[in-house]
This record gives sequence, C-alpha cells and structure tokens, in this order.
Amino acid sequence: MEVNEDVPEAHQEGDEEEEQQQQVWSWGAGTDGQLGTGRLQDELLPQPLSLPAVSLLSCGGAHVVALSSGGRVLTWGRGSSGQLGHGEVVNHCLKPKPVTFPVSFPITHVSAGWSHSGFVSDTGRLFTCGDGSFGQLGHGDFSSHCCPVEVLYFASKNVGQVACGMRHSLVLLKGEIHSQVYGFGSCKRGQIGSHDVRMKSVNIPQVIDGFKNIDIVSISANGDHSAALSADGSLYYWGRGFPGSPDYHSPAQLDSSLVIKQVALGWNHSLILTDAGEVSMLGGRHHGILSDPEKIGKNSFPAVADRREPALERVPGLDGVKAVDISAGAEHSALVTEDGLTKTWGWGEHGQLGLGDTRDQILPQNVFLDQGQSNGGARCRVYCGSGFTYAIRTRNLFP
Amino acid sequence: MSYDDVEIEDMEWNEELQAYTYPCPCGDLFQITKDELRLGEEIARCPSCSLYITVIYNAEDFADGSDKNKSLQPSGNQAVAVA
Repeated sequence: MEVNEDVPEAHQEGDEEEEQQQQVWSWGAGTDGQLGTGRLQDELLPQPLSLPAVSLLSCGGAHVVALSSGGRVLTWGRGSSGQLGHGEVVNHCLKPKPVTFPVSFPITHVSAGWSHSGFVSDTGRLFTCGDGSFGQLGHGDFSSHCCPVEVLYFASKNVGQVACGMRHSLVLLKGEIHSQVYGFGSCKRGQIGSHDVRMKSVNIPQVIDGFKNIDIVSISANGDHSAALSADGSLYYWGRGFPGSPDYHSPAQLDSSLVIKQVALGWNHSLILTDAGEVSMLGGRHHGILSDPEKIGKNSFPAVADRREPALERVPGLDGVKAVDISAGAEHSALVTEDGLTKTWGWGEHGQLGLGDTRDQILPQNVFLDQGQSNGGARCRVYCGSGFTYAIRTRNLFP
Repeated sequence: MSYDDVEIEDMEWNEELQAYTYPCPCGDLFQITKDELRLGEEIARCPSCSLYITVIYNAEDFADGSDKNKSLQPSGNQAVAVA
C-alpha cells in the first residue's frame, strides 16, 4: 500500500467505509488548530469532525498525528518545530494533511510528543521529525527536522512502537526479550533510564536496562514520565516522580497485584486500567483542582521525601461501572465505559473536559457526544493531548 | 500556587518571543524575559491560561545586563533543517 503518495483518497478510504462507520469529535484548547475544526479557538463542547477512517490517533502538545486504516499518516495543529512532518515549518495547520515518507511502506504506529513526532513502518523502521533540541529525534545531533527522517540506529533492528514525551522518546523493539526498550532525548529526570548524571540529554538511542526476560507489550511517554507494560500485566515506570515520590532513574515495578492492561501518562499523574475494568490513578495531586489555588493548598500532599512508591488510588465516582479505555492529557483524564459512555475529569480551563464550561472536575463526568444513537456494537476510544481531547466511535457495519 | 518549580537551565531561549520558555500543560508556553529576570522576577506566566511557574535561577547571572548567562542558554534555538 502506498503511503508516500497522496493517493486518491475517496477510493482508498471509501473501501474502508464499506465495513466501518466512524464518528470523531474534538474539544478543548484549539488555538493552534489542533482540534481539526478549521478554527483557531477553544471549544468547550465536542465538535463533530469529518476524518478519513483512523486506526490510531496520538495527540501531543498542540498537534495530532493520525494513522489511517490503510497505513497513511495525517497530521495537523501546531507545526512551529516541524512536528507535522509536512516539509515546512508552519505555525499551525488547520486541517489534516498527509505526511510524506522517504519509503513506501505502510506506517503501523505513531506518536505525538510535546513538539516532536515518531512513526514506525511495517518493516520495523523508525522515523522522527520536529524539535530535536534535546536529542529527542535520536539522530545523533540536536537538529530539528520538518520531514520524517529515519533513525539509522534502528536500521538493522525491528521497531514495533514509539512513544514521544515532552523532551524524550521511547522505542520498543519486536521479537527481543533482552534489549527491547530504548530511550533518547532529555534524561535529567531519569526518563530514559540510568545515565551519566552530568548528562542532560542523549541524542543516540540507549538501551533501558531492567527488562531482561520480561515480555514488554507496550510503552508510554508523556511529560517527563515513562512507562512500560508487560504481557502479564505488570507496570514499570521511570522518569520524573509522581507527586510525593522521587524521580526514578531506572524502571520500577509497581508493587500491586493488579493485572494492568493499559496505562495512560499525564504530566503529574497516571491512569491505570486493570483487566477487570477498574481505573486507578497514580499521583494526581493537582488533578481536578488546578485552577483553584486555595484547594491546591489545602489538598497538598505531606512532604514525603521518604515515601518510595507513588500513591495508587481507585478513581472515585464510577460506582462499579467498568472502563474499556483510558487516556490522560497533561492535567486531565478521560475514559470510556463498557456502555460506550465517555467520561472526563481534571483540569478544565480550556474546555478540555468537553462539558460546556471551563470548570475543573474532581470526579469523572459524562460527556455528551450525540443523541439518539445507541452504542450497541460500537467501539469507542478517547485520546487526550496536553489541553485537548478526541473521541472516536467506530461501528462495524457488517460484523 | 505555582504549577511547578523550573530551573532556568531547563527553560529554552525563544528568539521570536525574546523570552525563556517552558511547556505549559495547556499547550502554550510559560514565558519570562531577560529584563524580568534582571529585575528579580521569578514568576513565568502562560499567556493563554491562569497557570504560572516559579523560575529557579541565580540573580547574579542576570544582573547589570551582563551576558554571563550565555553559558546557560540551552540548545533550543536551532534552525529547523529542511531535509
């Protein structure tokens, strides 16, 4: 399948639409065009969008990377560091625009960081573009690029996933059980594992130790946090400490009997979804009270220099309703219930909760996407960027 | 209350804004100018939201308009390669 050409969209995506019907909404901070609405403004309520069929969405600081069902990549939003990969630096791109790659393999995984992006081809090759000031593009220098450039370090390796944080990147290789997780970029908070303490950033991929004989199935990065999930449901986290715990310069395994199937990192908190559909939060000191200085003061955690593990707490207010998907923005959270309802909570100053106002919420609240449509048979996903949110509902027409 | 405490060496000099910047969770940038630093200001504000951070720096590095802080300037001001 072509990915480097602007192939006739109607034909290609039309084939996909015969089997699937997809609805997309966006809301929250929008002054860089990241909502894809064609407007440069915040939206307090979900806005319906028209996008080609999307199999994966990744939302960064103020840009979005979408992977189409056919392995093509579209980006939009802020492009001031080259993170859109369109071959030029633009302040913002209001509408989804295809990314051109130097090879014609389908892309199978994408990630949007604060101001850089990563793309993995089906042949296991990694491409990055955007801000490289901290070495987060992995090309051995600190240059920025506005076209996807292959990370040659992985040329003879088989890359499966990429995760882009604020100033660092993680890579997961396929079919490796020893040296499988790599990091590059800013390393000051331990986000790419142990390193020479005098180094502030690393521009060549480094193996992250601590995963020998552990089958890692997914990696995550956001802010200065990093995380990995193993096939047996264990969570490993490193990088900046969550409020109340120190920075971790090597992966620590969460001390918990929970079987974890998904993790979502924010800038100061992390959500965890268990195989039983329960949602818990790590950190979250500011969560839902960020724009209320009085409350932040009252709720501040005790000084816990001696506490080792971040506090893990069940997300309240779900009343036993199971979740099937989670996502975290910088300071807000979203989940989808097994009934297909989208719920949000946390910081709301830019409308990123989609509730029609700019208030913060301490408990998950229902987001009203549309009416009259039952969720039967539909699959819903949520994707949070720093200050904005997307929801995608996919319905199989011929299951 | 300050959203975070950030060392000046972790902020990036932005030529266009003529300010040191640091990512704000809303998607915009916390900003503080050299003039503000010379005056002893330690709060960097985000133009788009209510949040602000406390900047940790050595006042002497910015005193009297001297550019002793050059060594502190991070690498964040590079041209984007069109390649």
